Amino acid sequence: MTIADYPAVNKDVLSRRVRRWGALYQAEATLRSMRAYGGVILFASTFQPIMYILAMGLGLGVLVGAETDFSAYGADSYLMYIAPAILASTVAMTAGIEFTFPVMEGFKWRRKYYGAQATALTPPQIALGHILGVSCRFGLHALIFTAVLFAFGALSSPAALLMILSSTLGALAIGLPIMAYISSLRDEKGHAAIIQRFVIMPLFLFSGTFYPLTNLPQFLQVIGWVSPIWHANELGRVLAFGQPTDLWLVAVHIGYLSAIVVVAWFAVQRVFTRRLGYDEWRGRIPGLKADQRRQERQDAKAAATESYQRSEGVPPVAFRRGVGANYYSGNIRAVFSRGLTAIRNNRGIIFISGFLEPVLFLTSFGLGVSPMISGIEAADGGTISYAMFIAPALLAVSAMNGAVFDSTWNVFFKLKITKLYRTMMSTSLGPVDVAVGEIALALFRGGIYALGFLGVLVATGLVTPLPALLMWITALFIALGFACIGMAVTSFMKRFQQMDWMMMVLIPMFLFSATLFPIDVYPTGVQWVIQALPLWHGVELMRDIAFWDFGAMTLVHIGYYLVMVGVGGALAAYRMKALFLR
Amino acid sequence: MSISSALESSAPSDTAPAPAIDATSLVKEYGDFTAVDGITFSVRRGESFGLLGPNGAGKSTTMRMIAAVASRTEGQMLVAGLDPEQHGPEVRARLGVIPQQDNLDEELTVRENIIMYGRYFGLPRRYLRAKADELLEFAQLEHKANSRVEDLSGGMKRRLTIARALVNEPEVLLLDEPTTGLDPQARHVLWDRLFRLKESGTTLVLTTHHMDEAEQLCDRLVVVDHGAIMAEGTPAGLIREHSTREVLELRFGTDRNAEQAKTLEELLTGAGPDADFSHIEVLPDRLLVYAGQAESALEAIHAAGHKPMTSLVRRSSLEDVFLRLTGRSLID
Ligand SMILES: Nc1ncnc2c1ncn2[C@@H]1O[C@H](COP(=O)(O)OP(=O)(O)OP(=O)(O)O)[C@@H](O)[C@H]1O
Ligand SMILES: [Mg+2]
Repeated sequence: MTIADYPAVNKDVLSRRVRRWGALYQAEATLRSMRAYGGVILFASTFQPIMYILAMGLGLGVLVGAETDFSAYGADSYLMYIAPAILASTVAMTAGIEFTFPVMEGFKWRRKYYGAQATALTPPQIALGHILGVSCRFGLHALIFTAVLFAFGALSSPAALLMILSSTLGALAIGLPIMAYISSLRDEKGHAAIIQRFVIMPLFLFSGTFYPLTNLPQFLQVIGWVSPIWHANELGRVLAFGQPTDLWLVAVHIGYLSAIVVVAWFAVQRVFTRRLGYDEWRGRIPGLKADQRRQERQDAKAAATESYQRSEGVPPVAFRRGVGANYYSGNIRAVFSRGLTAIRNNRGIIFISGFLEPVLFLTSFGLGVSPMISGIEAADGGTISYAMFIAPALLAVSAMNGAVFDSTWNVFFKLKITKLYRTMMSTSLGPVDVAVGEIALALFRGGIYALGFLGVLVATGLVTPLPALLMWITALFIALGFACIGMAVTSFMKRFQQMDWMMMVLIPMFLFSATLFPIDVYPTGVQWVIQALPLWHGVELMRDIAFWDFGAMTLVHIGYYLVMVGVGGALAAYRMKALFLR
Repeated sequence: MSISSALESSAPSDTAPAPAIDATSLVKEYGDFTAVDGITFSVRRGESFGLLGPNGAGKSTTMRMIAAVASRTEGQMLVAGLDPEQHGPEVRARLGVIPQQDNLDEELTVRENIIMYGRYFGLPRRYLRAKADELLEFAQLEHKANSRVEDLSGGMKRRLTIARALVNEPEVLLLDEPTTGLDPQARHVLWDRLFRLKESGTTLVLTTHHMDEAEQLCDRLVVVDHGAIMAEGTPAGLIREHSTREVLELRFGTDRNAEQAKTLEELLTGAGPDADFSHIEVLPDRLLVYAGQAESALEAIHAAGHKPMTSLVRRSSLEDVFLRLTGRSLID
């Protein structure tokens, strides 16, 4: 008697059930793990559409609507025109996250898939389970989004509900190829960030979300044709307000998206089967050759400098006496140089990619929105081009984003995950050395990005060299202000989820702070709120310099940032021990 | 495992120089939980001092307070005459810290880890390049010098953490379970290094769960439990004080150990001064009969008709002291 024919019936039924429904079990596991940050997901799904509608639909819409008519597309207003596209785009952007980090987590960080592999689940079922689970999130997001759009009167047809399907299809078309790629990697070393910046960002920005794709020059339209987001956007517009479209084109949209999904699904299946099947393939290591070459170079260098003398007694260790000696030991340089070494050890492309974002934004909005707006009224009564209007703002935004990311997420990561600061604090470094060193590093990085972006602005004639130089210094100043506040805020942080909430502050700040349109489209009360926010002052300060038009307000902006540096710096210094000695 | 009388002669004397570490009534609270509950001790310069105790006793917490990376709730602490909370950098400049958990810099190579750590101490690169070579040799990691830290095995990481802590040639070395995860060979290399450091005047403060390690390395040690000191002394002194000269290990089978303990206790208490019986410790798999003359005790047991499955007579070790002082928390 073998095990197989013991309580034979039950085992057979059980394994047949797993074979048939296994993917659903895996999907349930995926959904359960999402519940941990369910609050953020629900909030984001509701909050995001409202923000976009208020900012782009109603804010930018005032400018665009005054000059451009969308009735040829079947839409009553600019808001109506962009609403379905924003839905499809935000779902697709979510896919860019859900198919990268959680997949890496499954294979490497927490090896969840290997747990599932030990059961009767097959590798394709595990993959399908993840896809199904994530699709539920897309569906929920799209459902809430659609409801909000109905509430704002941005949808005219009940067929709009079908957008839940079209946007999920678009998200899968962008997500599954990424899933196939990520799951073939042994380890994530900034690949997700590279995909985000070099693939998803361009596909999003040149997908005709905020304007008809035809506004762009021909060669950029090509990106749109390739982009699943454009196809999903166009489907959404057909469903939401019946944008006049040839039937064959609708078929092309659906066919293109489905074809990608099917092909990518086979690729995903193949990779999952290889990794979770019998041969237990451990995944590719891209850049391995480059790493090996680097190691050979270093070995050669080490061999050349072999003839060092044995050390004879240790030189004196650096520390200070006197005021603040408990906090500052005068060795910021070491912290800074550690950061440089780490950057050098990482792949250069990650570093470079930071400067790409503002350039892409400028290209997309400058070229795409300009045809719909004849110009923006300048302070001196003349008009300036839309690109000229947003360029200084994008520099300020980029300075803010970089500084906030470095002083919050990065600091928190080194505090909690890599424990780098614990290492530093077991040497003669003081907390101030560490904090200032990290801020200096953030400014260094931000300074290089700003330099690159300003180079583009000067080359395209959007800014002249002298203001550009002042703007560079201002970018560093803005970054310093945000970095000080960021450090102070981080000292109160306890969990990673709190970091997600911070994004909820940054996105609206970006959308409303006179970056993409002047704030006088809003009622006075709203304007006051915006004017109280730091980014608005940064944006306006940048514009004052770019247009060489200074006034009393310029001083107010500068003063605002001086206060930010002072208060943020003082609070961070006060919280120094809480930050590093926990 | 004999304890030489040489170690005993290094008992505290009145003419000692100012202590390397002087801790008085240390208390550390995490919320309502008291991790360290009034610990007082003092470590002379050049002494090798051990902190023993069961998991969660508060050893690492005490170490972190010495290293000025955890604040005290109450009590005084002087390291080389300075309060680490007031003079953090200056105190840490003299310290070498080997934490219980390796915290290497994963973004740097093995060699860069040592050099950068030295840079945090403000040491010049010229010195560090030579020192890194020396430390890599000590850690037997020359062939991995330019590898990423994540490519190292667990024991290699441990060795690197230890080597790194020596980069500033510290006056006081704090070692929190330094040999956990090391193979026997690496352990002996480390012990040898520690002996040499001690000879050259370095103060060592060590926690460990290996009693043989404590016996080998520590001049003096304290046993900590529930955040308080249970006993203090030299290894030999502690054995004399808290254990008998010899121990008889008996196995009666897992189920019968406990009931046999009672019978034997009665038997041996009545056996007269010959066996010099003290007490019985019940472990899950065996009984430890503490008696100055274990052979006589065994004879008495055999004479009474008890038949243990195995029996072994050995000298008392620090492990017996540890069980005696902290064993109760294992049983209840
Ligand atoms: N950061 C912290 N927050 C809350 N409790 C803590 C913290 N660190 C330690 N503890 C608690 O303090 C007690 C002592 O911990 P400690 O790490 O000092 O023990 P230990 O003696 O080093 O133990 P082990 O032998 O397991 O390393 C434990 O009960 C632990 O749970
Ligand atoms: Mg410990």
